[in-house]
Amino acid sequence: MRLGIVPGSKLPAFTAAVATLAFSLFDAQFLMRVAQSFLNLTGGILVALVLALPLAIFAGSRSRFDTTLTPLVMLGGALPDIALLPVLVLWIGPGNTAAIAIAAFSAFFPMYFTIREGTKDIPKDLFHVAAVFNTGRFDTFRKLILPAVSPQLFTGLRLAYDFVWEIVLAIEIFSGVTGVGSYISGAVEAGDITQAFAAILAVGVLAIVIDRLLFGRAERWIRRWMD
Amino acid sequence: MSYQMELKNVCKEYDQAKGSMPAIQDVSFALNRGEFACVVGPSGCGKSTLLKMAAGLDTPTSGEIRFCGEPVTGPHPKISMVFQSFALFPWRTVAGNVEYGLEAQGIPRAERVNSVQKYLEMVGLAGYSDLYPKQLSGGMKQRVGIARALAVDPEVILMDEAFSAIDEFTAETLREEVADIHAETEKTFVLVTHNLVEAVELADKIIVLSARPARVKKIMDVDLDRPRDKTHSEFIHVHRSIFALLKEELETTIARHRVKRISEFEKLSDLEAQS
Repeated sequence: MRLGIVPGSKLPAFTAAVATLAFSLFDAQFLMRVAQSFLNLTGGILVALVLALPLAIFAGSRSRFDTTLTPLVMLGGALPDIALLPVLVLWIGPGNTAAIAIAAFSAFFPMYFTIREGTKDIPKDLFHVAAVFNTGRFDTFRKLILPAVSPQLFTGLRLAYDFVWEIVLAIEIFSGVTGVGSYISGAVEAGDITQAFAAILAVGVLAIVIDRLLFGRAERWIRRWMD
Repeated sequence: MSYQMELKNVCKEYDQAKGSMPAIQDVSFALNRGEFACVVGPSGCGKSTLLKMAAGLDTPTSGEIRFCGEPVTGPHPKISMVFQSFALFPWRTVAGNVEYGLEAQGIPRAERVNSVQKYLEMVGLAGYSDLYPKQLSGGMKQRVGIARALAVDPEVILMDEAFSAIDEFTAETLREEVADIHAETEKTFVLVTHNLVEAVELADKIIVLSARPARVKKIMDVDLDRPRDKTHSEFIHVHRSIFALLKEELETTIARHRVKRISEFEKLSDLEAQS
């Protein structure tokens, strides 16, 4: 089905892209590429989470630490991630490690800031409750801080998944790191525009599926108790 | 036989740019087991700080707080607390909140479930165990707060303005219930409040504090029959005498503020004269 505004050699029919995508779902090569991108993305986000969670909680609860660290983090977050790509590839080489590193870099900032905000918002009296009932350090983290920041934590993760897809695709396209990005640029170079669009569509669909699968339940749980 | 709780020359100072600022000065009083004490004083006088120190959440700059003869150096399993803000964990259900203190004490699950049920019944919330705090009214939230404090079977329950964030009708019912719980459990209660009627209604002993820095202005024993009748002449008499004491304090505070304002005003006119 076509409207006939753009020539078919430049933009395939939507139905054609969907059809190609449907066929590609049985193409092991294609699936591997998508899975590779997803792993780069998720790997980076996990690295960022492990770094951001303790730092953000610390910054959110100790104002002295916050005033030292947060301006530095702001500077880091203001750096253009895409411009860092070539430098990173130069250091690490054009492989999946570079993709994970850049994904971790861009995922760190939204998570740091949302979790820090969440920690600051925990009412002081809840810490008093924890103290009065003799809650140890680890349990204070597990039973108070973690559930209290969970809404912001999930917001941060969601934002991260959103931002980071772009950056992972960018490194794959421009530096030839294996993944769905390089698959798209390969298809364009080979003149198979329909295949390229099918892959782009796949990324969009996957982003929605990830969002629903990973965050749907969390969202329902949070809605149950949050004002 | 030692007192249940004893404050000896408790002082609290805060370090400020201009030097240390005394907030609490030389406060001493002692409570017997099962007594209901109310601490009243002008707002901002440091009543809540005093209570935090009794809970082991804060330490006196000098002086000592003793519980059953032993110095309080940190939170004590037999000292529990109720907060003005309710301070419930929003992600825990009513039952989960009441259970909280028991978890930290390592009490097995089956036992916890039983105590939770018992104390929820005591505060009139049986059947509400699976609701979340956001589904409750202020009065119900405070009932959860009280059940949570009782569940750990403490000897002393500290209440920081526990009825101040609740609408008056609900607060009145809750006060009556707390009076009943006090009579039934024979635990020691310490309530910090700025509501004098509330203090006379509940207390065996009222500790009147002065304006900042807080000193003990007077300790009054309230020897009225329970349940207390607010229209009774004795009730009114006690209320009046505390009110008179606090009014003096209020006047000193106001006078101090005036002096401060006058000096600020003088500074301002100096600046104007210079320019």
